Amino acid sequence: MSAIQVTGLSKAYGFYRIFEEMSFSISSGACFALFGPNGAGKTTLLRILATLQTPSGGQFTIFGQDGVAEKDSVRAILMLIAHGSHLYEELSATENLQFALALRGLKPEPSHVKRALDQTGIGAYGNLKIRQFSAGMKKRLALAKAILAEPKLLLLDEPYNALDDGGVAITNQLIQDTMTGGGTVIMTTHDRTKAAQIATEGAILQAGHLQLLSPEQLQAHVLS
Amino acid sequence: MSFLNTIHWVVWKDLISEWRTRETISSMLFFALIVILVFSFSFAMDQDAARQLIAGIIWVAFTFTGIIGIGKSFTSELQNDCIESLQMSPVAKGAIYLGKVVANFLFMFAVEILLFPLFVIFFNLEVVEAIGILFLVFFLATLGLSAVGTLFSALTVQIRAREVMLPVLLLPLAVPVMIAAVEATRGALNGDPYNFYSQWLHLLVIFDIIFTVVSFWLFEFILDS
Repeated sequence: MSAIQVTGLSKAYGFYRIFEEMSFSISSGACFALFGPNGAGKTTLLRILATLQTPSGGQFTIFGQDGVAEKDSVRAILMLIAHGSHLYEELSATENLQFALALRGLKPEPSHVKRALDQTGIGAYGNLKIRQFSAGMKKRLALAKAILAEPKLLLLDEPYNALDDGGVAITNQLIQDTMTGGGTVIMTTHDRTKAAQIATEGAILQAGHLQLLSPEQLQAHVLS
Repeated sequence: MSFLNTIHWVVWKDLISEWRTRETISSMLFFALIVILVFSFSFAMDQDAARQLIAGIIWVAFTFTGIIGIGKSFTSELQNDCIESLQMSPVAKGAIYLGKVVANFLFMFAVEILLFPLFVIFFNLEVVEAIGILFLVFFLATLGLSAVGTLFSALTVQIRAREVMLPVLLLPLAVPVMIAAVEATRGALNGDPYNFYSQWLHLLVIFDIIFTVVSFWLFEFILDS
């Protein structure tokens, strides 16, 4: 079954076309790695799927729901971990997680929050304000948000940036858990080695066109 | 339940962030103090003229101080792209709007409560009998300013010249609230019978309802765009 179905998707800023007539599907339980040079439109595509930007043309469905017409339903089942950490500097790690859950309409149970912090290796820093966090710790806290939210679609923009080996392992575990639970993961990355450990499907976005990779091509690409 | 819960968490987040930095309240208080001092020295030689104009002076101070606070309401969401998490939230956007309105109202009202005694001292006002009605005017006018101001704060937050655009867009809409607030405040301070100025209070209630309902409805489109 296709979890994500993209049909004829286009995006342009004025006369500058990022990509045109892009069509592809991603199955549930897959981890889709999106490769491509800087400025190819990987983040733009991710932001469109996250309902943060509107496509110039085409349509997409996420687990059967229209990504443009049924935004709120789609938003309830996806989570984006982007370059911006989406964290409030004056709140503690625990408070940030509580607020993030409340924004998803979920009840922030203290025991669940504590467990997610422990799982991401920052349990000892639950009461520390975010302005005292390093970039890697912020990334781990964003992963804790995803652990708590249990999204069906997890969108990761350069997920391995700023992470140490432990952080990479936590990220891969989160991806694995999402896939095992029948969810889908889409990640953009330049780190082919790390992507090779987890990606099951992939594509290269370049010059406005998406080249889907077969499993053999994906392995060849990540090893090249 | 989820709707009220979201309002509660947005208010909690804004209040706790402000309590820890005191950035908004301190800049609001500092600006308002300057306004009070300038007007106080300007009318030092003519207390009668000051009493004639005091309602307008109070609302100039309150409104412009409020704009400072309202302006920061959404700029604080730009740090770490937090505004994106508000946009992607599946909860009703109206709940986020109302949470922001309540937080802005509390900041403005707190500053007004702190400032009003200074007006009383510097302008030698007799307010004992009118204090109840004055606070009702402050409450209603501040609610109206918060309701429309929060919407325009969200509207201008992504604009580069947002500090300029917010007052330019907000003040024309806030004029009816300011006029009603000034007239009601003047009536209360002059000791006029309630019937003489009650229509201005009714007008404030009507503006509050219209501004809140329309802004509540528009907020989702503005946040999404």
